[in-house]
Amino acid sequence: MNRFVTANPSKCIGCRTCEVACALAHSDGAGVEGLAPDTFKPRIRMVRTADVSTAVMCHHCEDAPCVNACPNNAIVYRQNSVQVEQERCLGCKNCVLACPFGVMDVVTVPAVRQFAGMTMSLGVKAQAHKCDLCVGRDAGPACVSVCPTNALTLMDREAMDETLRRRRERAALEAAEVAA
Amino acid sequence: MEKHMAVCPYCGTGCKLNLLVEGGKVVGAEPLNGVTNEGELCLKGYFGYDFINDTKILTPRLRNPMLRRSRDAAFEAVSWDEAIQYAATKLSAIKAKYGPDSIMTTGSSRGTGNETNYVMQKFTRAVLGTNNVDNCARVCHGPSVAGLQVTLGNGAMSNSIPEIEHTKCVLVFGYNVADSHPVIAKRIIKAKERGAKIIVCDPRKIETARLADLWLPLNNGSNMALVNAFANVLINEGLYDKEYVANHTEGFDEYKAIVDKYTPEYAEAITGLPAEDIREAMRIYAAAPSATILWGMGVTQWGQGVDVVKGLSGLALLTGNLGRPNVGVGPVRGQNNVQGSCDMGVLPTEFPGYQKVTDPEVRAKFAKAWGVESLPDQIGFRLTDVPHLAETGKLKAMYVMGEDPAQTEPDLALVRKGFEAMEFVIVQDIFMTKTAMFADLILPATSWGEHEGVFSAADRSFQRFTKAVDAKGDVKHDWEIISLLATAMGYPMHYDNTKQIWDELRELCPIFYGVTYEKMEGLGAVPWPCRDLDSAGSKYLYEGNVFQRPGGKGLLFATEWRPPRDQLTEEFPLILCTVREVGHYSCRSMTGNCAALQTLADEPGYVTINPKDAKALGIRDQELVWVSSRRGKVISRASVTDRTNKGAVYMTYQWWIGACNELTIHAVDPIAKTPEYKYAAVRVEAIADQVWAENHVQQEYAKLKGGLSNAVARATKKAPAYA
Ligand code: SF4
Ligand code: SF4
Ligand code: SF4
Repeated sequence: MNRFVTANPSKCIGCRTCEVACALAHSDGAGVEGLAPDTFKPRIRMVRTADVSTAVMCHHCEDAPCVNACPNNAIVYRQNSVQVEQERCLGCKNCVLACPFGVMDVVTVPAVRQFAGMTMSLGVKAQAHKCDLCVGRDAGPACVSVCPTNALTLMDREAMDETLRRRRERAALEAAEVAA
Repeated sequence: MEKHMAVCPYCGTGCKLNLLVEGGKVVGAEPLNGVTNEGELCLKGYFGYDFINDTKILTPRLRNPMLRRSRDAAFEAVSWDEAIQYAATKLSAIKAKYGPDSIMTTGSSRGTGNETNYVMQKFTRAVLGTNNVDNCARVCHGPSVAGLQVTLGNGAMSNSIPEIEHTKCVLVFGYNVADSHPVIAKRIIKAKERGAKIIVCDPRKIETARLADLWLPLNNGSNMALVNAFANVLINEGLYDKEYVANHTEGFDEYKAIVDKYTPEYAEAITGLPAEDIREAMRIYAAAPSATILWGMGVTQWGQGVDVVKGLSGLALLTGNLGRPNVGVGPVRGQNNVQGSCDMGVLPTEFPGYQKVTDPEVRAKFAKAWGVESLPDQIGFRLTDVPHLAETGKLKAMYVMGEDPAQTEPDLALVRKGFEAMEFVIVQDIFMTKTAMFADLILPATSWGEHEGVFSAADRSFQRFTKAVDAKGDVKHDWEIISLLATAMGYPMHYDNTKQIWDELRELCPIFYGVTYEKMEGLGAVPWPCRDLDSAGSKYLYEGNVFQRPGGKGLLFATEWRPPRDQLTEEFPLILCTVREVGHYSCRSMTGNCAALQTLADEPGYVTINPKDAKALGIRDQELVWVSSRRGKVISRASVTDRTNKGAVYMTYQWWIGACNELTIHAVDPIAKTPEYKYAAVRVEAIADQVWAENHVQQEYAKLKGGLSNAVARATKKAPAYA
């Protein structure tokens, strides 16, 4: 099963700590001082409506519409998650339109190449931009670790089984109550 | 990488954290398992440290003492010797000419710590010879202190922060906990998970309202009517604890007589709430085996703040929700150390440890300890009196430490006039601020992260914080600066470190006596009262239901509801209520210099408005608009949202361009002198030329920022010797 991060709207207080943590986890070590409004592109977004505040991000679907939509096979299943091979991304935005949750985006980043010890600018490169589950970060998903109300959880098979077990138990109890 | 233990400098939750330091620079923050935060931090705690590194995003850090010899001259950098001598001469001359009461000082409820605040009030009382010392509690929880001191005898939170998650009912009144204290919001969520009922009284659909079992969206300005109606239901439905009331309270008959009129049906007309909801709220509250009331600025920043505080404490008294664990009344302090500056006697009425300046025995004790013949016995001026006192010539000099009244006080035009009218203004800060632009002398201090000390969390717990990095530039600790000034004015004052100061004040304050530096080592938190060396302090107050009043009983107090002062008219048909947002803090000199926080929210800030009101005014979401009141006019960005109630608009108070305090009214509570920030009549207007408006905001912002940083840059260029 693919792992994914899930948010509990009855715990989220809309503080956006997760957004900053996500942006920082993908800042190539630049740290907070590298953050600025025009380059701030977290892969998790807090959404606030009249009645709901919660964070939304990639579900790492098992049969992912973005994977199916990509004409260049740039999106793949790896490490129990959906990952983008950025070198292959064309920036065509098929995945953006395919994602039913609105959590895939295409962004442009400065493209550079190292040649004989020199850094050469190659204009811009498109990137399909979404939650990568912070693979490669030792401490796991950055957003999960900072959320002050523990509204975020990393769902893997084990966590999912535990949730299902609890739900079934509750259903059984409720059924018993109805019968009584 | 080094790690240095600190306490977050942003709110009264008092979260413990480690500052991560590399090469003499703070590069990160990680949560510690402190008593109040248990391993959590919020947005500001995690990402609010880089202001220390002088990012210059908003304003530059101060590096040198700066002086201007006349108001039209530019600032010049001077040596500490010259700065201190200049200040001493000026203050002494003003004192000799106009008397000690012509000078006023402020403590700081922010990063400086309790020791500095103690030293500041000592300087004010022993050296200047006046009780004119106050702090920003005046504009926030002053009414809570004043109200609770009358009804229960102690102005602080009765129970500790961790207890909130074990209570069975939380009544949240005028308190946006998610934005003000995110880590306390977690406690409320936990309480709910453990089965507690949550009742929220707030006109806006704040985050907690969304999570509540019952949300009472009362009309802006109807607090007293609702609280009286609550009491009415408790009494008339027989929900109150008769035995408790008989044994532990007084004033029931007068109380009952006043609230009698406030039936839920009568209150319905004032509050706009269905009578049945008012009843339901009290049935839930009274039925809970333990219940906690939490409130914030929505209760205190009113012309009738003190009365409502007294009323809320009455609900706890009626139901016996005091004097034991997991219950109580909680005025949850906003700024990280506003509890501390009150604890330290940075108040015109009290010495440290809540000992009255009007008590001759107390005065004699402090006079003896401080080696002076006598201490002033007259209650001093309040911060909110300053503009008026300055204009009428009663106040000639002001020494402002770590506060920015030219941003945070109501009716800023009036505040500016006040500063201009004064003969001598000293501003001591870590940043160049709007207030510093009015100063004659600017004294640069070390920042949080560059010094150590003790803070008081909102729940009375003292906690230590340590130094992480060395300060850069020619700056000194706040308490060192004040000591130098005292010495130059003929009162030799010297401390080697904060512990020495702490031990001096401990000896003078019986309720703090047992709180030693050793006890607060590491993650230690000691809530006062803590009278003995072997006591761990008091998690909750009023043990055995003994209240700290003559006779030991709690006072039931009610009074008639008074409508807000400012008048809605055709010209100014909307209510403006000032609020805060999670990412910014106070005047923004700290958070505005933090890259992450400034990335999430920048000028001109938002005015939130209900879609119906917006539509009627032809305003679309995210457009720039004019907001004006009888006092001023500012530009802001509309955020059209259903969470804002119809008829009211809300602005956060830290913006320079969208400065809502240009609009607020200087109408204060008669007792606490806290301004009515929560109710000003305004008009909101669409702007046809949005391109012009966007440019205008950028230009004005650049001009303000430039003004502040140029003042510093020019001064330091002139005198490189001190740079
Ligand atoms: S950090 Fe947690 S509470 Fe804050 S917005 Fe993200 S999910 Fe919500
Ligand atoms: S798991 Fe990592 S990449 Fe995904 S939303 Fe959270 S912080 Fe961002
Ligand atoms: S809740 Fe308050 S003390 Fe804790 S991290 Fe946030 S601002 Fe700091």
